[in-house]
Amino acid sequence: MSKTYKTGTHALNDVNIRINPGEFVFVVGASGAGKSTFMKLIVREEKANTGSLIVNGFDLMKIKNKEVPHLRRTMGIVFQDFRLIPTMSVFDNVAFAMHVVGADRRRIRRDVSAVLSMVGLGNKARSMPSQLSGGEQQRVGLARALVNRPTLIIADEPTGNVDPNLSYEIVSKLTEINKQGTTVLMVTHDHNLVRDFQHRVIMLEEGRIVADNAAGGGNI
Amino acid sequence: MKLRSVKYLTGEGIKNIWANRLMSIASVGVLVACMVLIGLAILISLNVNKAMGTLEQQNVIMAYFNDLNSVLYGNASDSYVPETSSDATSSDEDADESSSSNKSSSNKSSSNKSSSGKSSSDSDEVKKPTDIPDDAYLIHNEKEALALCKKLEKLDNVLSVEYISSEKGLESIKEGLLDGKDQYFTFLDGEYGNPLSGAAKITLKDMGKFKETLKAIQNVKGVDSVQSQSDLADTINAIKNGIGIAGVWIIAILLIISLVIVSNTIRVTMYNRKLEISIMKAVGATNSFIRLPFVIEGIAIGVISAAVSMGILYFCYRVAIEAIREALGMMEIIGFSSVALPIFGVFIAIGALSGIVGSVIMISKYLKKEGSEFTAI
Repeated sequence: MSKTYKTGTHALNDVNIRINPGEFVFVVGASGAGKSTFMKLIVREEKANTGSLIVNGFDLMKIKNKEVPHLRRTMGIVFQDFRLIPTMSVFDNVAFAMHVVGADRRRIRRDVSAVLSMVGLGNKARSMPSQLSGGEQQRVGLARALVNRPTLIIADEPTGNVDPNLSYEIVSKLTEINKQGTTVLMVTHDHNLVRDFQHRVIMLEEGRIVADNAAGGGNI
Repeated sequence: MKLRSVKYLTGEGIKNIWANRLMSIASVGVLVACMVLIGLAILISLNVNKAMGTLEQQNVIMAYFNDLNSVLYGNASDSYVPETSSDATSSDEDADESSSSNKSSSNKSSSNKSSSGKSSSDSDEVKKPTDIPDDAYLIHNEKEALALCKKLEKLDNVLSVEYISSEKGLESIKEGLLDGKDQYFTFLDGEYGNPLSGAAKITLKDMGKFKETLKAIQNVKGVDSVQSQSDLADTINAIKNGIGIAGVWIIAILLIISLVIVSNTIRVTMYNRKLEISIMKAVGATNSFIRLPFVIEGIAIGVISAAVSMGILYFCYRVAIEAIREALGMMEIIGFSSVALPIFGVFIAIGALSGIVGSVIMISKYLKKEGSEFTAI
């Protein structure tokens, strides 16, 4: 697939890639390499100009706008800037994602508590985001991405705003989730993480895939 | 959308009002001002229409019949002269035609002939009806007069027709104009003393069609002449039209202002909640799910404004009624309770409509945005 913006910028050129269910993939590259565009195409924030793109069974070249929410419900997104609602408690921030899919109160109470415990924030459910550290806030973001049990996690530089030691904690958590069968696609700049966690690595440069190493980051 | 989602979003919409309370209060304030002005415009318009309606009821058309008296006591120019009048000697079998032409000639001078007693006629020498052939006039007796009244009643735009016999007409002149000194007017008594024609007092439904109706009445066979206050009818029409046009403009302008105000509130709310909207989109919220709390917020602001406006309008109207009654004395004014429900309905409709339209217009801009575009707003 290829993507050229209206400004004339060629963001992606003939990118051809297959990610299998249950894989953990790092997407790396310098700024402007096309990582963000790649992620935007997968969540259908942008549409490729040519080629084909199939995500979780949805053909993103043919999908109608009203079907996009249903595509997004099959995935969980973790943002670099956490994107927590400051006026809502930790619990409500996570529950918010469940309200969107129309879950009932009992299920919301049960699943939110479970997922917060899983990310190690069971005792911070009533805290406000401002009372949490960066790492904790990102774990809330992770809990929100996981709470609807998606088959794919998209993490756009999730460690970009946290301390290095907390970065390891977050990727460890993602690896743990991946081991339970969830596909994880993580964009990162952090070569140390890529090296230390032995997952498939796709390297982008000027909108093209220049390396795809299934064996892990140590070889990049 | 599931019912529990609707409940959740309704709660969110109401919470938003409190969360943005300053903006909400400002919006309610401006909306209330608009609604009160709209309410006052409606009330003034209704009261003016009522007053005009009362005037309309008093503004009647008098149609004088082409009867024996109209032939005998018409103006000198059109009074009956057996030897020379072609009208009176026209064909026997077509009495309608002859009296119709008679009518048209007498119409020209009809304005001078009125219930004032036809003073122009020379009553000292009353002509005997034996000189006059039956086909010189159309209305020979009360039965025919009543039939003519029925005919007039069937005309378009005629509300009611009251038959005023020549005797009744004379009575009312004696009572009204002669001020009890009718002993000086005994010459009016007797079989041929009364110079008045029979007449019909016609009330119209719509003064807007005054001229057309007047013409239709004049064209009815058996009607000799008509008398009306066309100036008053024109004035009433002008006032009614003016009030109607001004009312529509005022309401239209205030409606637009209301819409802009609510849209603005929603826009500010959306700006404050752009992060929330971006997250909603990311986790798979449908457009209607994102839109609903804002629509609820808009509607709630509209409904609150409607309720507050009703209270203020009631108070203002009461004060205004007191002032008008004190200044003008007894005057027929529409009671607030009789129009409260429709006005409240109008207010609710304005509030809800501006809430829905305002939020839908504003949010459509946000719904097109994706992810990082929200941070650029």
